[in-house]
Formats: sequence, structure tokens, C-alpha cells
Amino acid sequence: MRWFRIVRLRLRSLLQRDRLETQLRQELDFHIAEQTAEFIAQGMAEPAAALAARRLFGSAAVHAESCRDARRTRWAEDLFADLRYAARRLAASPAFTLAAVATLALGAGANLAFFSAAWAVLIRPLPYPEPDRLVQVETGIAGVGPVLSLRELSSAADYAGYLPDTEVTVQLAGEALRLPAAAATANLLRVLGVAPAQGRWFRPSEEHAGQHRVVVLSHRAWRERFAADPHILGRILSLDEEPFTIIGVMPAGYAFPSAATELWFPIRVNPANRGYMWGGQNLQALGRLRPGLALAAAQAELRPIADRIRPQFPWRMPDAWGTSSAAVPYRDVRVRDARPKLLALAAASLLLLLIACANVANLLVAQGIRRGREFTIREAIGAGRGRLFRQLAAENLLLAALGAAAALLAALLLLRLLPLVLPELPPGAGPGLDPYAASAVCLALFGIFALLTFLPIRRGPTHRSLRLTTGLTALQLALATALLIGAGLMTRTLSQLANVDAGVQANSVLTASVTAGPSRCGTPARCGAFVREMSAALAAIPGVKSVNWANGIPLVPEIRAMTVDMEDHPRAPEAPAYALWHSIVTPGYFAALGIPLRAGRLFTEADHAGAEPVAIISESTARRFWPNRSALGKRIRPVSGRADRVVVGVVADVAQYSLTGFPSWVDGAQYLPLEQVMPGSAQAVDFSLLLEGNGLSAGMWQAALRRQFPDVAIAHVATIREVRDASVADRRSTAWLLALLSALGLLLGTVGVYGVLQQRAAQRSKEIGIRLALGAGPGRIAAAVLREALWVSLAGAAAGIAAALGLARILESLLYGVSTSDPVAFFVAPGLLVLTALLAALVPGLRAARLDPVQTLRAE
Amino acid sequence: MSKPSDLIQGTLDLLILKTVSLEPVHGWAIAKRIQQMSNEVLQVQQGSLYPALHRLEQQGWIEAATRETESGRVARFYSLTPDGKKQLEKELGQWQRLSAAVGLVVNQA
Repeated sequence: MRWFRIVRLRLRSLLQRDRLETQLRQELDFHIAEQTAEFIAQGMAEPAAALAARRLFGSAAVHAESCRDARRTRWAEDLFADLRYAARRLAASPAFTLAAVATLALGAGANLAFFSAAWAVLIRPLPYPEPDRLVQVETGIAGVGPVLSLRELSSAADYAGYLPDTEVTVQLAGEALRLPAAAATANLLRVLGVAPAQGRWFRPSEEHAGQHRVVVLSHRAWRERFAADPHILGRILSLDEEPFTIIGVMPAGYAFPSAATELWFPIRVNPANRGYMWGGQNLQALGRLRPGLALAAAQAELRPIADRIRPQFPWRMPDAWGTSSAAVPYRDVRVRDARPKLLALAAASLLLLLIACANVANLLVAQGIRRGREFTIREAIGAGRGRLFRQLAAENLLLAALGAAAALLAALLLLRLLPLVLPELPPGAGPGLDPYAASAVCLALFGIFALLTFLPIRRGPTHRSLRLTTGLTALQLALATALLIGAGLMTRTLSQLANVDAGVQANSVLTASVTAGPSRCGTPARCGAFVREMSAALAAIPGVKSVNWANGIPLVPEIRAMTVDMEDHPRAPEAPAYALWHSIVTPGYFAALGIPLRAGRLFTEADHAGAEPVAIISESTARRFWPNRSALGKRIRPVSGRADRVVVGVVADVAQYSLTGFPSWVDGAQYLPLEQVMPGSAQAVDFSLLLEGNGLSAGMWQAALRRQFPDVAIAHVATIREVRDASVADRRSTAWLLALLSALGLLLGTVGVYGVLQQRAAQRSKEIGIRLALGAGPGRIAAAVLREALWVSLAGAAAGIAAALGLARILESLLYGVSTSDPVAFFVAPGLLVLTALLAALVPGLRAARLDPVQTLRAE
Repeated sequence: MSKPSDLIQGTLDLLILKTVSLEPVHGWAIAKRIQQMSNEVLQVQQGSLYPALHRLEQQGWIEAATRETESGRVARFYSLTPDGKKQLEKELGQWQRLSAAVGLVVNQA
């Protein structure tokens, strides 16, 4: 109860100050009046009695002050007073306040946004129970047959299989749509540890072909494609022309294998379909470690299991198959691509935060030097050092609070913009402001400012505070140098990539993916007829110059390779076969993309299914396998046992996979005529369409096609130029963000140099005055100021180069065509910095040179 | 009239608590009563009474109420809280032990 009373009393002390003051005055007045009355009763005259009563009482002001002290809320009242005073001070120097708050908003805001994003992508736990126990098998056991065997044989983990990055044609409201989907085994949800929100997942029996026609929807697909239909279960959906029954809807947060996946359906086990079971399907194994077992246990069993799976293949597999299988934490698989970029940006924004802090510290020191006189006076009239310290602390904390608020706003804004440049961020909501990161940054700001209160601020311009500001400036410049070098490396990478000759000259060719179902492409003959029919329909559209087809588009990083034996290159029975990138194209493909012929001939209409199988190879392939000889007439034999192909032409190299080249295991590139390898499949067939023409409006030709071929899905429409740009989007966004961060860093660093030199020159005005009076020319004076800037910036640049080596290591995987110690970036960036610093020093230098010696000396 | 003895450190609180425990009284009356009851030996420095009163109030031992006096003026009357009663007993016990001990030492000497 006593605590309750005390709390009430303290609150009263804080909130009802005016009433308490009146009461206190009344109480003391009453005492003196009573005493006066007593003295009068004892026979004293009135004025004398009042005086005596006052004398007896002592100083009413002092006692009143002691009474106020007894309230124990002085600190709070002082704090309020200090904060009021601090607010007035900050308002009185708006330039300083604005500079400090803006600096903090930029530095801390950028930092907060990038760290929130990095947290969301790299660290936030996956939305599955015990996510650390999920492992994926990489670079080895994959495919339907092998993964099913792995599931049976493994004792360390419960393995499920899933087929990522697939699309399926869905017939919805009279339109054929390509939707991102995933095939999976029945135990996938058990491995992940999630359950459907409605209905059920597949049963093990539904993994078998024939019973496989069941589909589970994502929450988003249910909401957006089916208007959240409450009676969705049991509805029939046409997938690749097959009727599937909708049996379940997943919960909203479920995003496996990616957030874009809209449909899941079972794999279709059919031992008779050897191609599906053991060939083309890249089924991945995802497992949950069994209780008590570690990753090492899963890794240890992979090789023995691979040895047992290898003989199960219907054909002989090389002994090396499966031996490099690795069990990798699933989280690492997910974030692998985004990690270097996010780490680089987080590191860069941390550097920016440090620059910002150094800048604000510098501002505070400068402010302190300007206020040295004020503090001396206040100390002289009796302010205690502790009291002055408390007031400074209040000012700094107020500044920190303003800075933190501005930083939070800036971070929220940046987080809105980030998904535009960082496609790796989880789509949909994007990352929110992470509450932990936000509180950490705010705490850090308050901590830093609390520390800054200890800066030597009271004693006016001393050598110590000058050394401090110079040091802080050099630090800023060093960090800015590191950022500049990082941005320089990325910019150099971009320009190197822009100069890469992709081998494709025609930038305006439109590309699209066209998917036909089994009713169109069930057999090669029917499929050929479909392609010709569609080509004719497209050619009839006004403006269309040429229509070509291929199995892929240059610079879309999809793997298209086959293993072959090359003539003149015999290999030992167990040696791995050569892997050739293979593009399947129509005869006009080379002309449409502007790929020049180097030797032999291009494909013609005569290279049809009945004619001799032919191939065209790339220049570098010809050089590698048949140097100093003509490749024409040489034979290429597919390992799968199909007929030999004769090389009839050699064309220039094309960056089919990526501007940085083919994957390292690809030995060369070949082209095959579509007519000779026309697909025919019970499943959907994907073509890439290349359309050359003038003033084609995408809407128009697509609408025309849709009318004639309502069951054919057309997607991913883009020009070749756009495809190329998209292939370097990742590096471009990193370069842009780094450039932005480094520009901010340079700006802050420059402001720092300017501020420090200005202050230094002002402080040395007496010395400068004397030197001018003694005959030093203005040039010499300006040179002295510039020399100082030169030293500070050289020291900063040198330290920055060292820091940049660390940053470059993080960036390494994003670089192309430049080394991590690229001399251009490492020379230009520091040079730019020193130059900027000298420019910033020019104003204080010239001002010092124009000083009037008489005036300065008189002022002293 | 000899010079009144200075109050021993800390005894002012005890005297105030004791005084207000009898009936609600205002500051001037507390000072007067301490003086009278101690046969004019103990004299409270009038001004320093008030910080002590406010401190005791803030500690929750006594509470104040504003009322009119017989003379028609408004004054603050202090009275003991239940917690203050316990505190008074505690301090009385301490005081008695202390004065007994001091008495023992002084008498033996």
C-alpha cells in the first residue's frame, strides 16, 4: 500500500506542480503569520513582529527549495527543462539540426532497410517446424527413379522429391494460362511439417501414373484465380489438357519451392516410362533429418546409397554418377544466390552509417567549440559540471530521438522501393521493417549520442578536439573511399558485361514462350503440322517479317544440354561423355538473330525428318574439337544412341546461357534443325517463338493467336534486348545501390572536409592575419589550407583502399571481367575522393586568403 | 534562557512522527509542541521543519490535508498513516535502545 501511495505522490509531484507550489507558499506564509500573531500577542509592534517572525523562520526561498527537493522528482523536472531548452537550441540553429538529422536519416535509414531485407532473406527462419533439420541433396542423386530409391534406402532422413521451376498450362475461363507449379511426392508435407488449410494433400497411391490426377492450390491461386470459392474442393481443373480434381488448398504462408508456386500435383510413377523415371525429370530430394541425427549422418550415407542406385538405371551409368552428392542445409540452398549481394549492400550501408555518425560527431564537436564561451560563462555563474553535462546529454538525446524517427521513416520508404531493385526479396508483402533491427539501430543511435556527450566540448577550441575532428574526417573519407571502390568495381563489371558480344545482333526481335498440349503435339508429325499452322497464322499478321522457332532464347539461363561423342575424340568406356549445349532451331533463326555463318551452310527446308541428320556447331566448338581442320563433315553421336549427325555449318559464338559464358561443364554448342527433332509428347511441349517485324503490338498478335489457338498458352513476351537486360539485372541493381550509397558517402565526407577546414581556418585567423601582415601572399595561405585537405584525404584514401579489399571479397561472385583488385577502380575512386576533398577545401582556402590582416588582428 | 540544544541527527523525524501521532496538526503547531513538550529544551529550526515534513510525506509516513484553522486561516494538517504508525514504533524502539545504551555508558563513567 505504501508503494501505491508513493507512486501517487510522485505522480502528483510531476503533474500538479502549480497546485503544489501554491500549497507550499500558503503553508510557509501561514507559519510566518502564526508566528507574527504570537509575537504581537507577546506585545511586539506589528512591523517588528513580522520581521522577527521572518528572521526566526530563516530564508523562505531556501526552505521552499528544500521542500521541492523532498519531492524527489527534481531530475524529471530538470530533464523537462533541459529538453525544452535543447529543443529551443536545436530550433535556433536549424542548419545544424537539419544537417545532423538528415545525415542520421540517410545513414541509419539505409542501414535499417538493408539489414531488414538481409534479415528477411538470409536469417529469418523458414516457416516450417525445426527448419534446421531440412536438408537438400545437391550435385548428385536427382531424378524420379533415383530420389524414390533414396527415399526407400535412407535411414538418416525422410526424403521427399519435388520438381521446382515447372509451369503447367491451365485452362481457365476460356484462356490457356501458364502457371508456376511443382510436382512432388506424397510425403513432401510430412517432410516440411505443414498441413493443407482445406481438404487434403496427395496420398502415396496417387504418386502412380493413372491415379495422379489430383491438384492442390496455393492460397493465392484459390483467392485470385477462383475468387476464394468456398466449394472449390472437388472441382475439375484442366492441366496440360488432363482433368485434375482439386483436393486441397494450402495455407497463406506456404511458399514451397517458391512463393510464386500456385499448384502442386503428384509425380507420376510409371516404371515403363524409362525416360520419365530415369532421364529428363530433375526431381530434387528434400529431406528431414531423423531425430537425433546430424547433417553429417545424412552426408555419410549418400555415397553408399548412390552406389546402390546406380545399377538400378535401365542403362549403364558412369561410375562417377552420384559420388559428388552433397547434403546441404535447405536454408543455404534458398539464399545462395541472394547472399553475396545482400551482404555487400549491408556492409556498404554499415559503412554509410559510420560515415554518418562521424559526420554528426564532427558537427557536434564544431558546435561545442562554437559554444565554448557559453559554457565557460555558465560554469562561471555557478552551473555545476554535472548539470552542464546533463543538459548536453539532453540535447544529444533529443537529436538522437529526432534522428531515429527520421531514420525509421527513411527506412520504411526505402523498404517500399527495395523490392523494385532486389528481386530476390520474398515477393508479395516484401520485407517489413524488422522490429529487432529497428530497436537495435535506435538503441545504437542513443548509445552513440550518449558517448558523444563525453567529447571534449566544454573547453573551447583545443588541440584535442581539433585532432578529433581531423581524425573523424579522415575516417569518413576512408569509408567513402571503400564505398566508391565497391561501386567502381560493380560499374566496371557492368561496362564489361555491356561490351560482351552476345553474338546476337537483332535487338528488336520479339520472343515469347508458346506451350502446346498433347492434342497439338502428341506426335512429332502432329506437332510439325501445328508449328507450320501457327507460323502461317503469325506470318499473316501485318508487319510480321519472319517467324522462327527454337527450344530456348539466348541469355535465358535454362539448361539445354546433351551428352555426345565427337568424331576424332575417342574416349575410354568409363570417361564422361562431352556435353554440348544444344539449340533446336528453324532455318531462319540465324538470320533473324543476326548470327553470321563462318563455314559451310545454314539449315534449309531440305533438312527435314527424312533427310540426313545434320548439325551446326559454334565457332569455338569447331576450334576446340577440330583445330587447324575443317569441322565440316565431322560426326557427332548422341550418347542416347540416336543416329549420328553430320556437321554442315559453323556459326559465330552466341551467349546462349549467360553473358559470362556457359556453365563450366559444357564443352561446346550445337544447333539442330527443328524438323529433324520435332518433339512429340503426352505432356505439354514448350517452344520459344522468335518474331521479327515492324510495329508489332504485343496485344494484337497475341489476341489473333488466342482466337485461333485458344488452348495454346503464350507467355514471357519480351524483346531480345529486354532479355539481355534482364540477364544482368542482378548486377545492375547492385551497382546502382552501391553507387547510390557511395555517392551519399562521398557527399557526407565532402561536407565533413569542408566543415573541418572552415572551422580550422576560422580558428587560425590570428595566425593567418600575422602571416599576411608579414608579407605572405594569399596564394601561400590558400595553399596551406589545401595542403591540409590533401593530407587528410590522402590518409583517408589510403585507409579506404585497405577497407575496400575486404568489401571487394564480398562482391567477388558478382564481378565479371574485373579482378577484386582492379587497378582502375582502386586508382580512380581514391583519386576522385582526393579531388573532391580538395574542391571542398577551396572555399575555406580562398576565404582565408582574402582575410583582412588588420581586421583579424584587431578582433583579437 | 540557555541556548536550545541542537537536535541530534535523525531525531527530528521521530519527534515529528510522535507529534502528529496524537492528532492532525499543522507545521507551526508541530514546532510549538515539540518546544513545549520538551520544556523548551528542544527547539526546532522553524524553517527546516518543512523540508522534513515534506520528506516524511513523500516517504508515505504522514499525510497532509488542507483545512481551516480556528483562526479562519487555511493550513495544512499532517496526520500519521498506518505505515507511519509502524515506522514510529520502529523508530521509538530504536531510540529507546540507543538512549538506554548511551545512558548505561554515561552512568558508569
